[in-house]
Amino acid sequence: MTDVDPLSLAIVDDDEAVRTALRRLLRALGHDVRVFASAEEYEAQAERADCLIVDLRLPGLNGFELRERLRLRGSPIPIVFITGDGGPSPSDATAHAGTPTVAKPFSDSDLIAAIARAVSSDANVH
Amino acid sequence: MPAATNRQLAVRLAVGRALGRTRDLDDVYSAALDTLAECLGVSRASVLLFDPDGVMRFKAYRGLSSEYRAAVQGHSPWTPDSVDAEPLLVPDVRREPSLADYLPVFEREGIAALGFIPLVSLGRVIGKFMLYYAAPHTFDDEEVQLVGVIAAAVAFAVERGRTHEAARRSDSPRGYEPNASVIGPWEWDVTPGAPAGQHEGLPSGTLRQVRLCEIENDRDCLKIVGLDGRLLYVNPAGLAQLDAEDSRALVGRRWIEFWPEKDREVVEEAMTRAKAGAIGRFMRPTRTLAGVMKWWDVAVMPIVDSSGAVVQLKAVSRDVSAQWRAESFQAGQHQVLEMIATGAPLAQVLTLLVHVIEDQGEGMVCQALLLDADGTHVRLGAAPSLPEEFSSRFDGQPVGPRIGACGTVMQTGRPVILTDIERDSQWPVLRDAALSIGLRSCWSTPILSSKKKVLGAFAMFSSTPRGPSCEELRLVETGADLAGAAVDHHRSQEALRQSEERNRAILRAIPDWMFVLSNDGVYLDCHVKDPKALLVPPETFLGKRMRDIMPPSLAEIFERAFERAAATNEPERLEYTLDLPHERRFYDACIVPCDSDKLLSIVRDITDRKRAELDAAAQRQELAHLNRVLILAEQSGALAHELSQPLAAILANAQAARHLLDRTPLDLEELRATLDDVIKSDKRAGTVIHRLRDLLKKSNAVLQPLDLNEVTREVLDLTHSDLLLRRMPITTALSPGIPLVMGDRVQLQQVILNLVINACDAMSTTEPAERELKLTTIADDECVQIAVSDRGVGIPEGQLDSVFDPFVTHRPQGLGLGLAISRSIVVAHRGRIQAENNSDRGATFRCFLPLASGTSDFGVGRDSVVAMMPPG
Repeated sequence: MTDVDPLSLAIVDDDEAVRTALRRLLRALGHDVRVFASAEEYEAQAERADCLIVDLRLPGLNGFELRERLRLRGSPIPIVFITGDGGPSPSDATAHAGTPTVAKPFSDSDLIAAIARAVSSDANVH
Repeated sequence: MPAATNRQLAVRLAVGRALGRTRDLDDVYSAALDTLAECLGVSRASVLLFDPDGVMRFKAYRGLSSEYRAAVQGHSPWTPDSVDAEPLLVPDVRREPSLADYLPVFEREGIAALGFIPLVSLGRVIGKFMLYYAAPHTFDDEEVQLVGVIAAAVAFAVERGRTHEAARRSDSPRGYEPNASVIGPWEWDVTPGAPAGQHEGLPSGTLRQVRLCEIENDRDCLKIVGLDGRLLYVNPAGLAQLDAEDSRALVGRRWIEFWPEKDREVVEEAMTRAKAGAIGRFMRPTRTLAGVMKWWDVAVMPIVDSSGAVVQLKAVSRDVSAQWRAESFQAGQHQVLEMIATGAPLAQVLTLLVHVIEDQGEGMVCQALLLDADGTHVRLGAAPSLPEEFSSRFDGQPVGPRIGACGTVMQTGRPVILTDIERDSQWPVLRDAALSIGLRSCWSTPILSSKKKVLGAFAMFSSTPRGPSCEELRLVETGADLAGAAVDHHRSQEALRQSEERNRAILRAIPDWMFVLSNDGVYLDCHVKDPKALLVPPETFLGKRMRDIMPPSLAEIFERAFERAAATNEPERLEYTLDLPHERRFYDACIVPCDSDKLLSIVRDITDRKRAELDAAAQRQELAHLNRVLILAEQSGALAHELSQPLAAILANAQAARHLLDRTPLDLEELRATLDDVIKSDKRAGTVIHRLRDLLKKSNAVLQPLDLNEVTREVLDLTHSDLLLRRMPITTALSPGIPLVMGDRVQLQQVILNLVINACDAMSTTEPAERELKLTTIADDECVQIAVSDRGVGIPEGQLDSVFDPFVTHRPQGLGLGLAISRSIVVAHRGRIQAENNSDRGATFRCFLPLASGTSDFGVGRDSVVAMMPPG
């Protein structure tokens, strides 16, 4: 549980219950957590986070698109995808590549592991 | 031949004269016997009639012994109900096996040949007259014809006489009512030295108790008759009525001489009564000095002297010809009308009518000709007094002047008066024929229907060349008038009969049961092709109330339908079931008001159809379920997402809670909030599972009042993530507070789900930015509408209806059942569904569902919806 140091995390999920529960969980693990209901809401603020946890299925920009936008803008933020329909869909397989993804419902250890992977691979990249 | 036809006409006229003026039945019998003697030279004859007890008895006879009458009384070849009776002529009684028993009687009476002639009225035998011959006798054709003519006239006269007698019995005595001064005995003062009579013809002496001026001024014919029967005095009114210029033509002659021989006995009897101090009365016809036939109502009274002895008689006669004529005419017309009313054959009615008219005119014969239904040919209506070979010439001829006055009348619709047939050129064919039977003038008038359409012509012929009197014109017109009524009635009866026959044929052909009920539900009549098909025989329910026959709840439904049908005068339909011991049967009833106080209930056993419908409904049910399964299969990703969201939240919360427990101090508030969120998310997952289960379950439809907005939101909840994934931006315009509809939640969800999926599929090739899925609800007075519109490819021209057909699909996946199933669900909810292309882009599907409230027929509708959804 304490594999990672306290991080600043941003969560984008349109489902309020999921959002609230994840914030509670990650805060209980000692992280600093901010939540957003959509990709657009996240983009509208400038504060930097150590890792972005984003739901693939979103109204407006979806998870992939948000990642593309961030990459294009040169943002190095590590990303973790969370998804409700059990894994990547075939058509999105390539888009998935390289981004840690956890399927709901997931345990705290799976999520932390994914965050750790994202942050470390991000560190590797940069 | 002309001689023979002349004789026939003569016989007909003689019969008419003899019987036409008869007053009562005895007169009829004696006139009949007179005529037989006169026309056929038969001196021995009798008239027998059926009495009310059905036994035929002698009414009048000539030349028969009482032994003979007693021996054969009651014998008759016919019964009172015999129809189409023909004369039985026995040329030799010894050769007639059926009369063998009577041979000794005939022998004793000296009878060798016999004629039984039936008297027929309204087609039925009322009696007979008998002709007796002392030697074997062969009847020739003419004799047979004449016998028929006489029989018809006698039967008619008998019937008329009976009518008269019935009228006389029921009415108070009518006619003669002498005034106070002439009724009762006068006392004649014969005191010597009294002043002589001051008037010519009046004997010496003074009448007491009565003033001479009253006798002089009396309007009746008043006579004083001596005890020797000679006339002593006739008052001025009497002289005028008897066509006498003065009293000399009368005074001094015997009164009895003025009466026909056959009536003298009656006159004698009246005088005898008066001589005995009583009043004698009779009514008889006799001719005036000028030969005019008049009917007299006569009272003969005594004149007594001071000692009370009868010294002279006074006879007061009132001329009642006009009343008699009017009365017999009236009775005759009445009888004609009665015959018309009772539906007697037209030929019989017209024959009677001709007789009645002929009775009124002196020596006239009449003929009724009819226009065929085609309006171009002539048919003989009746001419009983004209020789058949004359009258039959008209039958079948084309209408027009070629067939004489009547032909012209029928063609023009206007009366024709031919004063001299001999001098007229209008009768090229029939002139000689008419002249040969002694017809010299003819007055013909059109027979018109009540709508003034020409139906025929009624003509009166005279044997002298002359024009008609006013009275005769009136008679012809009356004849035409009654004939019109008879033909009108006959034709309308005929039309009615044909229509009834048609109706009966239709009734025979149709399998429905028909019940006639009073407005308050009493069975009055029923028509059932096969009564065995009824659950109970008709006699067990006719006359009873429906309430006592049907199950009470059903009777109540019927009674309400009766009330509505009676109130609105519109047909009411209802479907109902009856549970029999081994099966449930289905019926359809249509209730139609009829006759203002009755109802016709047309019931059809629709069990077979209903069972087929139920089978079809079961199949539909299967397909609907399959459709739902397929939807869910397609939606499995979205559904998994819908479940994984709350599950993810629950797991995250639970693990958060465990971490919170490790902390000190315990943040109990946060822990409580966490658990609350767990509960909330669990419930959410539960709801999704419930809905899935509902959609996957094969269950009976459950009708309940539903808020269509709510149903729409439930569908959107379920499809939310799928729509997100497929990038279908959704907008809703749900009218707040719309009325409830009656429906099954799952089925209506299925409809909306199908429409939403259909819309998404239609937009799959639309640029994401241009996509719009819009759900709208709106209500009016009758129904709630839910519209689902897209901005997709639209529906190809000409396929707006076929999109609802099963297996029509534009999608690569799916069976094309969604819209078909949706329509069957909507129709089962008494709604409708339609598709239309939007003016700019895409299509809109609208579904209309009736309101739950204010739909009085929903009771039936619910049943039928439920019936369509049997246990699956």
